[in-house]
Amino acid sequence: MSENRSLIAIIGDEDTCTGLLLAGVGQISPSSQEKNFFMYQEGKTTREEILGAFDKFTQERDDIAILLINQHVAEKIRGQVDSYTAAFPAVLEIPSKEHPYDPEKDSVLKRVRRLFGE
Amino acid sequence: MEGVFFNVDNGFIEGVVRGYRNGLLTGNQYINLTQCDTLEDLKLQLSSTDYGNFLSSVASDALTTSIIQDKASAKLYEEFQYIRDQSSSVTKKFLDYITYGYMIDNVALMITGTIHDRDKAEILPRCHPLGWFDTLPTLTVATDLESLYETVLVDTPLAPYFRDCFDAADELDDVNIEIIRNKLYKAYLSDFYEFVSTEIEEPAREVLQTFLSFEADRRAINISLNSLQSGDLINPDMKRDLLPTFGKLYPVGTEQLASNGSDFEAVRSIVENVYEYRGIFETGNLEDHFYKMEMELCRDAFTQQFTLSTIWAWMKSKEQEVRNITWIAECIAQNQRERVNNYISVY
Amino acid sequence: MSANREQVFPTRMTLGLMKAKLKGANQGYSLLKRKSEALTKRFRDITRRIDDAKQKMGRVMQTAAFSLAEVSYATGENIGYQVQENVSTARFRVKARQENVSGVYLPQFESYIDEEINDFKLTGLGRGGQQVQRAKEIYSKAVETLVELASLQTAFVILDEVIKVTNRRVNAIEHVIIPRTENTIAYINSELDELDREEFYRLKKVQEKKQQQTAELDALMKKAKAQRAQEDEASTTSKDASKKPDPKSSAKEPTDAPPSQEAPDLLAEQEDDVIF
Repeated sequence: MSENRSLIAIIGDEDTCTGLLLAGVGQISPSSQEKNFFMYQEGKTTREEILGAFDKFTQERDDIAILLINQHVAEKIRGQVDSYTAAFPAVLEIPSKEHPYDPEKDSVLKRVRRLFGE
Repeated sequence: MEGVFFNVDNGFIEGVVRGYRNGLLTGNQYINLTQCDTLEDLKLQLSSTDYGNFLSSVASDALTTSIIQDKASAKLYEEFQYIRDQSSSVTKKFLDYITYGYMIDNVALMITGTIHDRDKAEILPRCHPLGWFDTLPTLTVATDLESLYETVLVDTPLAPYFRDCFDAADELDDVNIEIIRNKLYKAYLSDFYEFVSTEIEEPAREVLQTFLSFEADRRAINISLNSLQSGDLINPDMKRDLLPTFGKLYPVGTEQLASNGSDFEAVRSIVENVYEYRGIFETGNLEDHFYKMEMELCRDAFTQQFTLSTIWAWMKSKEQEVRNITWIAECIAQNQRERVNNYISVY
Repeated sequence: MSANREQVFPTRMTLGLMKAKLKGANQGYSLLKRKSEALTKRFRDITRRIDDAKQKMGRVMQTAAFSLAEVSYATGENIGYQVQENVSTARFRVKARQENVSGVYLPQFESYIDEEINDFKLTGLGRGGQQVQRAKEIYSKAVETLVELASLQTAFVILDEVIKVTNRRVNAIEHVIIPRTENTIAYINSELDELDREEFYRLKKVQEKKQQQTAELDALMKKAKAQRAQEDEASTTSKDASKKPDPKSSAKEPTDAPPSQEAPDLLAEQEDDVIF
């Protein structure tokens, strides 16, 4: 179930994408011209588009091992992120330049805290 | 006699530019900026400078470094356009020449977008405002260099530069674009130098030649260094095509860079032969050294009277100022106080 | 009470089966409990590491974002678009390896970099190339941290699920299966006791009846004997001494010896069982 998964996908703002792409995680499928990153633009990208990208990376594509999503973008689709519990691909919330990391909002950390009754 | 008729055409412009120059941020103002704790403070500090209320329409919670950068750049473009509108004849041509560099960037950007089937509307806002020309949007029709040249670029001032890069690059791809862009830039610099040498009066000529030589050397050094890792793509012959053909490094240094500059030490020893660039590899950031040198040249340029070179010097200083402000804003926003003093201020 | 037991016939064989089942359940319970404890230990360890790693990630990403600021300072332009368009093949990939913790397979992402691929060879050629290079390195490091964190997080999600299932099993055994089996055993025992008591009572009754009969017979024989004696007395009063033991043995003869002997035996056995 996890053998084919080797890519890291991104949903994030321009700076986050640029940086991670520089690291070399980007891939454009030769056949379908599909990207494994989704650029979020403040004020332009709609919630539906984010959801679409989220669903595509988490459900449709089977070559993605890790999905990195900016926390402030995840915040827009918090319900879906919170209810996502599958192990593959792993969804990881990351900070962006303008939005430092806030552990209080993280879906997984919330689960951690809940488990230990904090 | 050389300055006698200068004011007939250019007196007003020079006056305006010198006014702008006085509006450049001073060392003290920079120190005040670096003391800010938040971007909101920075906005407040900037409002007491020449920038005035350029951020007044931005809500304080939406204030980001990129917005500050955009607004500050917009102010620069506005001022430049104003000067351009006041100019005539040779001065106008000179100002046009300044914009060609940005045009090249825009053309490269448009071609990049075109290869990847991007929507025009997506790319156009990313183009540099100073490099705008009327036929820019139509660039998207081009699929190879030849048609690009014949349908669009032939009517632009860039046309002569393109003639030289037809040889190998028939198909457009990402690597080609970067190489074409640098070839164009080389041709542009040479042409600009030629223009300055023949049509601009002394003393502006000398100052501008210094600026352009510096620019050429900077490109030469940068290209030599940055192509070290991609030796498979850029062979000595191609490098020769990319390195500018004037400046302090030319011709001996340039030739050596092209044929022998295959590792960092080699590049370094070649560049060290030029007195001005001795020691730039020693400490700190190469780019910082260049910016610093450029700013010193700019500052010195203002000591001359009756010259067009002040426009260039002001323009470059202002660009540096925007970079400085962005840098300081970035340091404040990302809480990297220890690096905040990395800006370059000479006034 | 009767609802919380299995529907079985209360026989000795079922009792044996139930006892075996109870033993199995207890064994399973302690095994699962131990597994759950091992997993939980691991789980707590991972949770703590996640917490740390998330904090670390905050710092790493900040440094990385700053290196990008350096790039834009050096190039004086936004390279975002150029970078985006130059992407073609992923250089940075991950491999999933599996690690076995108490029978649970936890994925472990490993990052590897294909040095052959470089989509951004010429980015920043004219200016800012070194900064681009630096940003590339810093971001590669950052992504490595992210991959580590992703491993932890996936392990967390899987362990969470497995622990839940295991705990559910442990609880089911502890609170449902064991009490149920115990109840069933108690039920079977009580039913068997009941049967035993009935049997005991029946036997007692039988014995009583037998004793009664014997007593009647005895009385009858005594009477007959007395009568005969009287008759003898009446006829010959002198020849009785030699005949005295004879009536006893003759009286016992018809009462059928075995039942009277078996009765106390059975009783004793019964008694044993009850005590047990």
